[in-house]
Amino acid sequence: MKEPEPVVFVIDDDRMIRDGLQSLIRSVGLRVETFASAQEFLVAKRPDAPACLVLDVRMPELSGLDLQLKLRDGGIPIPIIFITGHGDIPMSVRAMKEGAHEFLTKPVRGQDLLDAVQKALASDRTLRQERKEANEIRGRFESLTPREKEVLELVVAGLLNKQIAAQLGMSELTVKTHRAHVMEKTQAESLAHLVRMSEKLKSVSRK
Amino acid sequence: MQISTAATAKRTLFRYGLAIGLIFLALLVSLALQNSFGNPFWFFFSAAVILSTWFGGAGPGWLAVICSTLAVMYYFTPPLRSLAVTPHDLPYFVTFVACEMGVTQLISWRKRSEDSIRQARDELEVRVAERTAELKNANDALVRQMAEQRRTEETLQATRAELARAARITTIGELTASIAHEVNQPLAAVVANADACVAWLSRKMPDLAEARSAAERATQGATRAAEVIARIRSLITKATPEKSRVPLNRVIEQIAALAEGQAERNHVAIKLELSPDLPIVLCDSIQLQQVILNLIVNGIEATTSVTDRPRMLTLRTEAEDKGQVRVSVRDSGVGLNEEVMGRLFEPFFTTRPKGMGMGLSISRSIIEAHGGRLWAESNTSGGATFQFTLPSEDGLTA
Repeated sequence: MKEPEPVVFVIDDDRMIRDGLQSLIRSVGLRVETFASAQEFLVAKRPDAPACLVLDVRMPELSGLDLQLKLRDGGIPIPIIFITGHGDIPMSVRAMKEGAHEFLTKPVRGQDLLDAVQKALASDRTLRQERKEANEIRGRFESLTPREKEVLELVVAGLLNKQIAAQLGMSELTVKTHRAHVMEKTQAESLAHLVRMSEKLKSVSRK
Repeated sequence: MQISTAATAKRTLFRYGLAIGLIFLALLVSLALQNSFGNPFWFFFSAAVILSTWFGGAGPGWLAVICSTLAVMYYFTPPLRSLAVTPHDLPYFVTFVACEMGVTQLISWRKRSEDSIRQARDELEVRVAERTAELKNANDALVRQMAEQRRTEETLQATRAELARAARITTIGELTASIAHEVNQPLAAVVANADACVAWLSRKMPDLAEARSAAERATQGATRAAEVIARIRSLITKATPEKSRVPLNRVIEQIAALAEGQAERNHVAIKLELSPDLPIVLCDSIQLQQVILNLIVNGIEATTSVTDRPRMLTLRTEAEDKGQVRVSVRDSGVGLNEEVMGRLFEPFFTTRPKGMGMGLSISRSIIEAHGGRLWAESNTSGGATFQFTLPSEDGLTA
């Protein structure tokens, strides 16, 4: 399956800066979409592809920092590169705490921005991959029956078949059958693989 | 209240007692002398009545009259030892009683008027004392109020100066932030577009169309930055000064008076040497005031660290030929070294820690906008002289 083409969103209320940034990013062969305001970006349809956001902090109405919070609350994970004319420390600390990918001051050197964009896209690609894998695993795990899930929990916790049988009040033979189903449904190649998948699922749902 | 009533009762008792005592004394003396002289000395009773009235007042006086009448009737008018009076003695007796009564009445009148005079005097004294105290209180209050007012005025002045400085700093701060943003925005556009232009040219297959449009946008950004700068400059020095006929000497006197407070605080003497026959100049008086005040304040601040010679600021006006007037502000301050002299009129150049470095630069722009010149010289005797020329009215019409 081929990875969809990554896209860079540029949001700045100053047309000349917007056009300059767009041209700069396009020159390295990346797809760019520009917006004059945060609202415009929020209502736009976003493609399902690795992406990052180049965002001006100081904008009328919805500021860059406001948009960051809105995206986070809306569960839209997208790396943000902030650009600010007056990069005061408290503001950048706040932005970084909320998970900003990078914080650059105006005027931005072209190479710095391109580096930041590449890094942000790579990071988004990894995150998307992780999310995709986790979704697949979750799908498989969810196909298990409640009984099988119980068995899975105890297997992953490192209990022996005999112990599991005692704890769940069933015969060792039944445990073995459930266990075989679990391995089959989750496509686990080994016990170690099963444990890894289970851990991954937990860590992604924690994020 | 109770005590004073008791005291009054006691005093009344004493006065009546005194009357009875005196009559009794008179009786004893008269009885004693009766045996030796035969004819009774009723005059002792007169004396007793007079004394009783004098010291005791009307009441005791009348009591003394009654008592003495009875005593005389009983002891000294025949028939003796009875309260009867023989017709023979009657005129004499009546005359006696009448005299007694008259004397008592006269004395008590006299006493009463004396008492009322004394009372009036006492009251007057009390009133005078009260008034004096009131006056003194009022005076004290006035003194206190004046001191307070002076303090308030001092505080007010300090606050006003503080406020003016804070306002200036705030304005400068806001102005700076706003200028920084206004200039930084187009600069960012220039950098982004120039970088994009280079990037398009650096590709394996250079894209000239893209590079050109990026370069064009960079130029636009630079033009915008230049416009912003021009706008700020025209903001600082109003493009067209509003000229009117200005009596220069009067303006200088006013500004010198305005700066007097600051000069006094810094122990600087301001001396005016104003030419009496100075032609009128055509200029924007507000801007001119700004320039003069700026030069005076600079002069004062230049002298504040001087301790080995008098701190002097001399303001001088003179008419020059070629239809010009010249204003000079000469200080006895620290003077100007060569490095300072070279950069004196540059914007944002300052030798003061809190200075903005705009005063002289703006002043020069103002004077030049009026067709004059502003320059500085070091004095041979220490300190510096700032002077400017302005075309006079006849110089302009000529």
